[in-house]
Formats: sequence, structure tokens, C-alpha cells
Amino acid sequence: MIPTLVAFSLLAAFLVTLFETLKVKEGKIKAVFLAGILSSWLIFGYVTTKMPLSEIIGNHAKEAGIQVSLDIYSFYFILAELILFSLVAVYSMSYFKQRAKNGKIYALLLLMHAGLLGAFISRDLFNYYIYMEVASVSSFALVALSDEKGAKKAAYKYLAFSLVASYLFIFAIGIIYLKTGYLNVELIKSSVVVSREINVALAVAFSALILKAGIFPLHFWLPDAHSKAPNPISALLSGIVVKAPIYGMLLLYLALPIEESLLNLLTLIAFSSMLVGVIFALLQKNAKRLLAYHTVSQMGYVLLGIATSNPLGAIYYAFAHTLFKGGLFLSIGTLINAQKTKDLEKLTYRHDKILMTSIIMLSLAIGGIPPFIGAFGKKFLLSNLNGIRLYLFYIAGIGTLVSFTKLNYYLMEPGKAIKSNLTQKVLSLIIAVLTLAFGVYFGLVISYRDLLVILVAILTFWLLQRVGFFNITLKKYFGESMEETGREVNAYMVLFSLFLLVLLLQSF
Amino acid sequence: MKMSTVVRTTTKLISPFLVTYAAYLMVYGHLSPGGGFQAGVILAVSVILLITSHGYKRVRKKFKFKEVGIIESSSAVFLVCIGLVGVLFGGFFYNFLNGGKFGSLLSGGIVPLFNIAVGLKVGAAFTFLFYILLRWVESD
Repeated sequence: MIPTLVAFSLLAAFLVTLFETLKVKEGKIKAVFLAGILSSWLIFGYVTTKMPLSEIIGNHAKEAGIQVSLDIYSFYFILAELILFSLVAVYSMSYFKQRAKNGKIYALLLLMHAGLLGAFISRDLFNYYIYMEVASVSSFALVALSDEKGAKKAAYKYLAFSLVASYLFIFAIGIIYLKTGYLNVELIKSSVVVSREINVALAVAFSALILKAGIFPLHFWLPDAHSKAPNPISALLSGIVVKAPIYGMLLLYLALPIEESLLNLLTLIAFSSMLVGVIFALLQKNAKRLLAYHTVSQMGYVLLGIATSNPLGAIYYAFAHTLFKGGLFLSIGTLINAQKTKDLEKLTYRHDKILMTSIIMLSLAIGGIPPFIGAFGKKFLLSNLNGIRLYLFYIAGIGTLVSFTKLNYYLMEPGKAIKSNLTQKVLSLIIAVLTLAFGVYFGLVISYRDLLVILVAILTFWLLQRVGFFNITLKKYFGESMEETGREVNAYMVLFSLFLLVLLLQSF
Repeated sequence: MKMSTVVRTTTKLISPFLVTYAAYLMVYGHLSPGGGFQAGVILAVSVILLITSHGYKRVRKKFKFKEVGIIESSSAVFLVCIGLVGVLFGGFFYNFLNGGKFGSLLSGGIVPLFNIAVGLKVGAAFTFLFYILLRWVESD
């Protein structure tokens, strides 16, 4: 029953392309598109009643078939995907209204939907890889859809690095298959003998997945791709597409014993990503770039969950991040759509009560303030930390809050009152309310300490503004021309090779 | 762009054989080396050979852009439907057509159907790709 979750959205995607070639009316194409999304909700609703559930496709033997499962490890990823994707689907219908032909966009969106769902249910490394690729290939095309200057180049960079990561990942899967004879996660776990080859495979696979998830220091493609994509697509990319590699790390964690030294290195990477992402975000003047750098930082939190052998923390934080980052991209995207600028200093939500509420709620959620959902994931992540790690974690949290104080400070300044689209506003509000609702559902309560944290954040913001920290402009090393892009890709490729070397050599 | 008479006649002669070979690979994929993907590539090659020898514009009149698109997407729809029908018999992609003597054509169940769908999909997709790329290159 579980694979039909993917099958119906794939069917809808192919039907949309068929209708597009047959020149069927736009209304019917939209109906198929929505039916594809609704079907996955219905099947998900039916399947979750029997959780935990496991199945081999085609009723083959476990050694020969592909295993798919629905349990705690997949459930929150799928739930987050379905919530965000459904809201974005409705949003993009209003966003892409002025374009002449939307069939292709709907087909690509459905393919991405199917790819992500397929990746999140699979318990087989190769099957996971295939579906992650389906999702990322459609996201390259969706990034390139944008009319903005530089979007094609951003899509090209995204494509280049994402494919490098995929090839290395499949190489690592090859090594694991060679040493254990299985691709199924449970069978690998039962038959693995730790050897140097397995450690190499783990290092290669982790560096590939870190590149694909856009974690510092391999984040270079992410801010461009996520900030230059069309607004609803940015929400999907930052919200859920970067979670697919995280699920891969989870599968590796479930399948293979990971050495302590590699875990320590991953913890270091996670903390550097959390902190550096926030520092870069603080310096941004472009609203979408600011959010994109926060994705770099927040993915560090999720990696931290895996690095400290705390998969539940990673899962809950990934779930929370999907909701609030998707919501932030949608709500700030709504402002950008109406006011036709991405400059923080020109954007304003002063006249718009709905967007103001949703952006403030989502900002509190990303800062980890209860009773919003972000705090629940953080509580899980904190349970395994002590000493200096705990302080670094708090510093990153306060940095995030400072950055969002800055965002709200600029957005609060009065400006010209331009009405934004009502559908888009309501969708942003829905996702903001969901972050609150899930937080309350998980049993979070307000405490006075969180008010203190907010006060500290506001004070730090005020201090930093006094010092003139926000006026620093980052030097650009690479120009806009195509040749410069080639040089940029080469330089980052060298950086990636070095990173790979460090991860490979850490066990010696 | 037109090539010489020798090339054009040869490709015209070879192309139908390639199509036959592709059909064989599709149908007998489960019994002999081959299968859907290889068959699809050979199917596409038969069209691509004609394009290189006769030029894009002439070939496009016979194998229309829209028809190629329809074959591509409908074979994909068929492919998913095979998998979905299996759910009624006990599992996604369950081989519900059984029968036939071991080693005969019918013993494959849904595998030949699957191979045919994959072959058509791959062949049409490759042709489609060539059409789209040639739009920018072709100047005759």
C-alpha cells in the first residue's frame, strides 16, 4: 500500500504532460494536479492508521526486492512534505497565473513531490538515491524557470554541484554493496563487518550528502539557487528538498556503525555551519538571501542531531524547519511579489496585519521560542549536549534571533502601502498557525526565560547596529560573466575535494 | 543539411531493421539479453540516423513533434498503471499475469509489458531530446 503514495503523484505528473501535449484546457490540468496531491494525502491518512508498516515492492523476497517503510523515521518527513507541498501548490497556482503555459511547471512540481515522497519512504540505499535524483532534477529545472537575472547561472551551479554529489554518493553505495552484498538498510546492518572500505564509503557518502544539503563549508551553491528561484519554489527548496540528503544520512546512520572520530568531525562541521550561516545571514541586505543563509545555519542543527547520535532530534528539527522556513519564504515572497523588490530596507509589512502576524510568528518559531514548534526540536537536540557545545548552541540560537530581529526591524519601517495577493497572504498565515498548533500539540509552554532570550537578542541587535556591523559589505570574489562562473565552479570544486580528503583521512 | 545519396539510401534501408530489432529486444527482454532501455535507445537511433542523413525538417514531417510527445507521456502513464493494477492482486508491481511454460514468451507475466512501455518511453524521450536540441542547431 505504501508505494501507491508515490505512484499516484507520478501518474498525475505523466497525465499532466499528456494533457499538455494534447492541448487540454488549463482548468482540467489544474484539476489533475490537485488530484495528484490530494491522493497522496488520502493514502497517507489511510496508511498511518497501521503504522509502523513495512513492505517489499512486488512481494519479492527481502534480499531481492526493494523495501519501503513507514515508521517514526519517515513519518515526520512525509508529513512535513505533504503539508508544505500542498500549501506551495496552491500558492504557485496564484503565483504563476500570468504565465501562458503552466503545464510543465505542474508536471515538474508533481515529479518533485513524487521524488521526495519516494525518497522518504525507502529503506534501500539505491532506491533512495534514484528518488532523490528525481526530486533534484526537477528542482534544477524549476530554479531555471525564474526570470530574474542570474537565475540560469544559479541553476547551473546547483546542477553541477548536485550531480558531483550524486555521483560520489552512488560510488559510496557501490562500495557498501561490494562489501556487504546488500542495498537494504536492515540487511546491511545485520551483515556488515567494519573495515577500512566501509569507513571510506561512509566518508565519501557523508561528504556528498553534506554538499547536497548545503551545509557549511559546502554551502556555496545554496544561497544563489534558493534566493533566485521563483518564490514558491524557494520555499520548497529550502523547506524540503534539502531534507532529502538528511534522510540519506539517517539511512546511513541506521545501516552502518559510524566511527567516533567521524561523528566528532561531523559535530564540528555542524557547529561551524550553525555559526557561520548566522554570521553571513546577519550581513545580508537581500531578504531572500538572508533566509537562504539561515537555511545553511539551520541545516547545521539538523546535522548536529545525526552527529550526536540523536536521530529523533534531527527528525523533529527537520520537521520544524520545513514548516517555518517554508512559511518564511512564502510570506516574504508575498511581500516581494507585491512590492517588486528584494531589498530589506525597501520592503515593509507595516500596513499588512496578516503578513505582519505570520512573519513575527514564524520568526519566533525559527528562533526556537516556545510554544512554537522550533523549540521542540531544539529541546531534543539539547539533550545530548554538554559543556562548550551547549554554549555554542545557545550562541547560534541567539544569533538567529538577532538576525530575525533585524529582519522585523527593517520590515516594520513604514513605507508605501501596496496590497498583496489575498490567497498568498492566507497561505502564509496558515503555515504560521500550523507552527504554533504543532508546538502546542507537542506540549510546549511559555516560560519567562524565553522572554529573557528575546530581550538579549534585541539588545545585541541594538549594540551591533550601534557598532555599524550591519553596514559591512562582503567582498565579491567572482564577477557576473560566464567565464567567471566557470572559475567559481572550479574554485569550489577544489574546496570540495579538500573537504572530501579531510573526511577520508580523519580515521588514519 | 542533406548528405549524399549513398548515405541517404543506406540509412533508409537500415532504419526499418533497427525498428524490428528494437521490437524484438522489447518483447524478448526477459528471455534474452536486452530489455526496455536498450530497445528504446535503438528505436531512437533509427530516427536519429534519418535526422542526420535527411535533415531535421524532412524527418519532422513524418515523425511529428506532438506525436512523439504523446507516445512519451502515454507510455509513462501505462507504466504506472501496470504497477497500480498490481495493488488489486496483492502488491505494487505484483506480477499478476502468470502462466505459460518456463522459458516461453508468456512466462514473463507483466515483464514484457513493462519492457514495451519502457522502450517506447525511452525511444520517444530520446527523439524528443534530439528534436529540442536540433531546433537551435539546424539551419537548413
